Amino acid sequence: MMKLKSHLPLLAAIVGLIGLPLFVENPYYIHLAETILIYTILLFGLDIVVGYVGQVSLGHAGLFGIGSYTAGILFFHLGWPVWATIPASIIVTAIFGGILALPALKVIGPYLAMVTLAFGTIAQILINEMSWLTEGPLGIKLTLPELMGTTMTASEYFWLVAAITILALIVVDRFVKSQMGRAFEALRDSPVACDCMGVSVYRFKVIAFVISAGFAGLAGCLYAYSEQYISPNTYNNELAVLFLLAIIMGGRKSRLGAAIGAAIIVLLPKLLDDINLFRIVASIIAIVVTLGAVLALSKKITTPKRVAIPVAGVVGLAAFSFWLNSIADWRLSIFGFMILLVVYYLQNGIVGFAKTFYLAITGKTKTTVGEATAENTDSSVDFISAVGNKNTGAELLKVESVLMQFGGLKALNNVDLSIKRGTIHGLIGPNGSGKSTMMNVLTGIYIPTAGNVLYADESVVGKTSSEIALSGIARTFQNVQLFGEMTALQNILVGLHHTFKSNMLDIALHLPRYLREERDARNRAMALLKFVGLEDLANEEARNLPYGKQRLLEIARALALDPELLLLDEPAAGLTAPDIKELLRIIRKIRDNGITFILIEHHMDVVMSVCDTVSVLDFGQKIAEGKPAEVQADEKVIHAYLGA
Amino acid sequence: MDMLAQILSSGIAVGMIYAVIAFGFQLTFATSGTLNFGQGEALMLGALVGLTCVDTLGMNYWAMIPVVCLFGMLQGSFVELIGVRPAIKIKSEFGWIMSTIALGIIFKNVAENVWGRDALPFPPPLPMEPMSFLGANILPMEILVVVGALVMMLLVEFFNRKTIYGKAVVATANDRDAAGLMGINTSMVITFSYALSSLTAAFAGVLIAPLTLTGATMGGALGLKAFAVAIIGGLSSGMGIIVGGLILGIVETATGFYFSTGYKDVPGLILLLLVLAYKPSGLFGKSAIKKV
Repeated sequence: MMKLKSHLPLLAAIVGLIGLPLFVENPYYIHLAETILIYTILLFGLDIVVGYVGQVSLGHAGLFGIGSYTAGILFFHLGWPVWATIPASIIVTAIFGGILALPALKVIGPYLAMVTLAFGTIAQILINEMSWLTEGPLGIKLTLPELMGTTMTASEYFWLVAAITILALIVVDRFVKSQMGRAFEALRDSPVACDCMGVSVYRFKVIAFVISAGFAGLAGCLYAYSEQYISPNTYNNELAVLFLLAIIMGGRKSRLGAAIGAAIIVLLPKLLDDINLFRIVASIIAIVVTLGAVLALSKKITTPKRVAIPVAGVVGLAAFSFWLNSIADWRLSIFGFMILLVVYYLQNGIVGFAKTFYLAITGKTKTTVGEATAENTDSSVDFISAVGNKNTGAELLKVESVLMQFGGLKALNNVDLSIKRGTIHGLIGPNGSGKSTMMNVLTGIYIPTAGNVLYADESVVGKTSSEIALSGIARTFQNVQLFGEMTALQNILVGLHHTFKSNMLDIALHLPRYLREERDARNRAMALLKFVGLEDLANEEARNLPYGKQRLLEIARALALDPELLLLDEPAAGLTAPDIKELLRIIRKIRDNGITFILIEHHMDVVMSVCDTVSVLDFGQKIAEGKPAEVQADEKVIHAYLGA
Repeated sequence: MDMLAQILSSGIAVGMIYAVIAFGFQLTFATSGTLNFGQGEALMLGALVGLTCVDTLGMNYWAMIPVVCLFGMLQGSFVELIGVRPAIKIKSEFGWIMSTIALGIIFKNVAENVWGRDALPFPPPLPMEPMSFLGANILPMEILVVVGALVMMLLVEFFNRKTIYGKAVVATANDRDAAGLMGINTSMVITFSYALSSLTAAFAGVLIAPLTLTGATMGGALGLKAFAVAIIGGLSSGMGIIVGGLILGIVETATGFYFSTGYKDVPGLILLLLVLAYKPSGLFGKSAIKKV
């Protein structure tokens, strides 16, 4: 019953799409609806990069063009049928997406925006100049695809596009809810932690771009047939900006948002062609926003200062519309003005805004999403993989005269460490003595200037963080690095990413392998949450958890990696006394499963009560090592901590 | 040999223009970590305002330059106020990227409506007869471009190094929070850096205008390529942008000559992608250590 209800909007959409060509006679409106669907497909893909991975891409107009031209060229030069051009467009564009991702990998934010802009510009220039292939500025004419020997009618093609859109919707939805979607969000929230959970940021950024480009290629191909004519000028940078506007305006991380955004950018130019219609719509928007603001003010949700500028903006727009004689010339200005309003006042898009507004008006508090409940925890699940007592006391990690130099500063100066299996090894020292630097060297975030690190007799120097993580070294961070916008449960599921073997096909078709892996992972994640006492907060976003709980969640996430060696960087910092007691219980319990620890800590009572061995660093050098009590009495250590 | 000299001389003139615009990118990036994606439009507006001064108001070319510089400062402050400051306040990278793009689109559209859609000729202040030098034909205007660009950059550098106001800019660039604690009005410094940045762009506009045509669409490609120069040279290296600008200017002129002018924007952008793929901090930039 629940299931039927949640599928109701989708069913309604399908019925509407089938019915549209039957009831709407005018081919112009069918074509408009078709364009909206095609843009929606592209925006599904763009949303993966923008919404989930959190990167700005201005290259999607270029990718869209590559998709269109792949179809156009194959049709024009080789006469390929539609069932061959669609996959070809997807594959070719996906390859270009991979090429775009290569320079994009090392850069973020504004650099990435410029890189993608440059990519889009190059694509447009090449399409324009390579006349032997693309017919250059003249463009390519196409006909609607054939179906069983006859050319499709406009309605039939509309149904084809509608069917593909629904398919795309289902596939995207499954992708972003799978381990892949979680990896995308994780690398957005904290790339460092993502790598240290064995989820390679490098790899998943490429995958995100490739998938996103594939959708752009599909949309481009359908667009070419829909317009029946393609030319280079369509795929300019303004279209790329328009796509971005659509994503933000509709709402990120929402399929409905993508559809709304697509409808807006398709209908907006039509709207702006007709000055009278524009005047009416601008007035309606002004009235709605003003009324909304008054309503919000009366319910004391917001302050006059906050609503003043958007209200002035929309009222100004309405006034401007009556002042203008012709609208066509000012189209781009209005469009730019809308971007400004959306960027600052509608950051979560129409869908996000509607949600918060609805919740605020009805006075409901935000209900947490997700179906996991504390009740369905299966206590029989073996949540910590016991490393067993194999070779307790043998050497697990060996640090050989590691030197880490930043310019003239030697953060670590010829430090040796030897960590025995099944023990808790404390690492202490005053601030700035190199403890966290050591953690970063061990997990591959820094590559040491000299020296070697052997883990289970293999050198880890030069391996990437995610390779090291997968080989069995998990860590927590001094300044908590959770995936803030993801729930506690999802955070742990990212740690369990290594348990998934299923590929894109498994996910898209929901094959048994994927379903089984997802179910097992969820059970284990709940068990891990229960172990650290967070099962009631499973569906809470990590950034909303209190600090102490965040630290515990980090430990649980690290455990999900099935580590043999667990590095804890100041786990007790900022914890209250009862919390510390709980932490000690957890550490001992994990140790009993045979897992080895390196523990950086400033709370001496914690260090003294759980550590088997303690090493002391000062100014990058090891000054003492031994049993806790011995170290505590060491002259040099006292000197380092208290001075003089 | 003659051809080579010709390509070099034309390439250097174009390259210096890129360097000046890229210099503008560096100014704002240093103080606030933000860039004006509408930098090309700032250049375009400067050129068009200059054209109005010379053509309609009958001003002398040299007398017009300070007016254009003043206009550039106002335009830059406007961009900072509307597009960048709110984004810095809410720490939204996406915000300033999108809003400077949006402002760029608006400026371009306004320019189309005020000055029309056609490219207009800009009356040159110097004779347009080429001079022969080492077998290459060099326009006096090209020499003016190179000299003007260098003087502008040196003036700003001098300001930054020798005056107390410049010290405030440098301090903000080094550490905005610390500068704020020392009583420097950092948000004013950021506005000022935007004013200065658009000033250099507007100045570059009137320098290049007599050599090309002036019109609403002249800015887009220039802005993007200047960004490529800023990246190739490194966003923190003054020497880097001059070298980067020259490399790009010469490569581009050569491509236009040996292949086709249609392809001339391509090598620069590919160079940009390659530099970002292999040395994201630029050829002359220093890479930063990430702290965890």
